Amino acid sequence: MKSRKLYNRIAVLRKERNISRKELAEIIGVNFQTVGYLEREEYNPSLDLAFKISEYFELPIELIFSTKPLKPLIEEIIELKNKIGEQ
Amino acid sequence: MKQKDSKTKQKRKLWIVINYLSIILILSIFYTGKYYDWPVFVIVCEAAFFILLIFSFIKVFIKTQLWKMSHTSDKNLDERQLQVMLNSLKYSYSAFTIIVLVIVYGFAIVEQGPIDIVIAACLLYIAHTLPAAIIGWKEKIIQD
Repeated sequence: MKSRKLYNRIAVLRKERNISRKELAEIIGVNFQTVGYLEREEYNPSLDLAFKISEYFELPIELIFSTKPLKPLIEEIIELKNKIGEQ
Repeated sequence: MKQKDSKTKQKRKLWIVINYLSIILILSIFYTGKYYDWPVFVIVCEAAFFILLIFSFIKVFIKTQLWKMSHTSDKNLDERQLQVMLNSLKYSYSAFTIIVLVIVYGFAIVEQGPIDIVIAACLLYIAHTLPAAIIGWKEKIIQD
């Protein structure tokens, strides 16, 4: 079965946290090359690994991973705020 | 960056071809030597190809850590590496079965007997290096 491509914000979040691929790899328990593969969206992580990443960045999993191309994080937060405001 | 990666991959592929080509050459020279009663030129050629085999082995499997990756315990690999490893084992199992069958039957037809120790050693080498070679052939990046 061919799986869908998963888009993610790992590269942006990692740079924002100012940590290297090696450091992130150690934290989430993978090889540092795997972080590169994840950032280039050439590898879809398992659910367990996706949760580890979301726990480290302290963000909901759907803000980090998506099946559709991701907008800049700030745009998404504004949209979310507007939605909450409408309610 | 992408251009550099593809250049490295091309180089890696070339060394894999050289590595397996040197095995074929070693075998060819061995049977030539056996047939002509080992003249000096044949011995020199055999030694040269053996050196080429060792050099290309270091270049392809040791320096890239492919050997380490394919011979380590599953516990030391992450989920992506495990997936890559299992995929390469699947392909190498099929390829190795075909290689062994062709050699064993080919040898039985031509030589009318079982395979000798040199071919057995080469098959052992192929069995151990094939999964790593497949990873080296297919993967974009081995070392970041």
